[in-house]
Amino acid sequence: MITRSLRDVRWVLTWWTAGVSAFIVLYLSVYGNIKQSPELYGPAMLAKFPGPLRDLMGGLEDMTSGAGFLQTVVYQLFVPMLCIACATLLANRALATPEETGTLELIVTLPVDRRRLVLARFAALVLSLLVLTAVTLLVAAGMVTLVSAGVPFGRILAGHTGVLLIALFYGTVALTAGAATGRRIVASAVVGVWVVAGYAVTTIGRSVEGIAWLKWVSPFHYYSSGRPLYEGLPVGDYLVLAGATVVLALTAVLAFDRRDVGV
Amino acid sequence: MTAVVQTEGLTKYYGKRRGLEDLTLEIQPGEVFGYLGPNGAGKTTTIRLLLDVIRPTRGTVRVLGGDPREPATRARMGYLPGDLVLEERDRAIDYLRFLGRARGGVPAARIEALAERFDADLSVPMRKLSKGNKQKIGLIQAFMHEPEFVILDEPTAGLDPLVQQEFLALVREVRTSGRTVLMSSHVLAEVENVSDRVGIVRAGRLVAVENVAVLREKAVRRVELHFESPVPRDAFDDLPGVRDLRVEGAGVSCTIDGRPDALIKAAARFTVVHLVSAEPDLEEIFLTYYSHEEAHHDHPQPA
Repeated sequence: MITRSLRDVRWVLTWWTAGVSAFIVLYLSVYGNIKQSPELYGPAMLAKFPGPLRDLMGGLEDMTSGAGFLQTVVYQLFVPMLCIACATLLANRALATPEETGTLELIVTLPVDRRRLVLARFAALVLSLLVLTAVTLLVAAGMVTLVSAGVPFGRILAGHTGVLLIALFYGTVALTAGAATGRRIVASAVVGVWVVAGYAVTTIGRSVEGIAWLKWVSPFHYYSSGRPLYEGLPVGDYLVLAGATVVLALTAVLAFDRRDVGV
Repeated sequence: MTAVVQTEGLTKYYGKRRGLEDLTLEIQPGEVFGYLGPNGAGKTTTIRLLLDVIRPTRGTVRVLGGDPREPATRARMGYLPGDLVLEERDRAIDYLRFLGRARGGVPAARIEALAERFDADLSVPMRKLSKGNKQKIGLIQAFMHEPEFVILDEPTAGLDPLVQQEFLALVREVRTSGRTVLMSSHVLAEVENVSDRVGIVRAGRLVAVENVAVLREKAVRRVELHFESPVPRDAFDDLPGVRDLRVEGAGVSCTIDGRPDALIKAAARFTVVHLVSAEPDLEEIFLTYYSHEEAHHDHPQPA
């Protein structure tokens, strides 16, 4: 079952991995210029973005150091968002899409326990995202060495682990919504709203008093507040993400097990 | 002997919409059971309940003595969905191998033999297959693991007559080997040649279960006779079971309710040049049953 799921997504996964890798290569390759004239690019960046927008981009205080640049262009927004999009796509392919097209009907009549079916699809999602993040981690580490950004591999690994965890978290959100409703649009909408709201709360929302407490339900809080690129693996935060993912996956199993398929 | 299908008061509502109401049915081993009804009558709902694709609102369902919710029960079943959707990107052979593995292994030779029998090409991506050819793949997967109980939802849809014959032959072989088949259709002609019993479902209720022979006998059919020379009307008046009689010169047409015996004997006195007996129309059979049923069921019909 797992092999089968992996086979199903091999091309999507290949293209997304290539895309995210290309993105990392492209953005990190300009670091050479910034490094040569930090006094030019630093203030220019700050001037270009007004306050709230700067918050949205994660502050931009430190664009000129290696870790700061890496954080801003790779780990702040673009790479996690791309990986979340990819995870949502893969998760939808696991249950909601086959249910909507109709191929799932035959699959649930196979002598495979429904709970095992969901777990197998979840395992395939985990493995797919591992491939995506492992390859892009190597690309990122390679580029960092190439442009001499001076960030140790351990920190990049810590940052990238976060990417895997947040992508997996949102992928599991999509999987669970899909398992419970059988509808791709619902799954994607839940992820979309939670991503935008969660990201906004941990960036712009930080300076707004009334909503600051909302950060506790934002996965991005656990993703970024430990500053893994500067301080290494934020074990506690990451465990929260991983734990929430496990709870969601179990919810998916239970939800799918007790439901009519394809009606 | 344990019944292959045993349902009691099986009921399924989709929210407020009725899918199936109060189905009590037994199917015995070695039987080919035809499940007839117009579209939306509840055939697919019944079949999905038997396979645990959907869950009953009320009532019980046992298949092969077990709960269809158990993978072990489903391992002994084969299924052809009514609206079959295949993995478009896959080659048929890869898809069949995957299904075979999931069902505990199917010898490659058996898949090949079935493919040859139905003249199916397994090497092309399934999106390139026509409807009929997709249906062949669906049939192969339903039979390939030699299940004890095969459920076929509208199996002959899209098949050309030659393949249909091959399919019916396969169903007979399955019966001969003591295994059981349930096949649904909205056309009686599709199932009557191969079925032992037929269940008729209408508006979510099973209105009749009959042996095929009995059903045919009960069925209303249209008969037209042409004679060499004009015949007198009184030769055909008041024959038992004959209605709507029209005699026009050398032509006689009427509707027969039950056995055509009296009409044939009356006609035998003249020289018959041509005889047409229209296949009993399922709709008319329904009407026959439905008018009987209404007396029994005084439940208000939900809209």
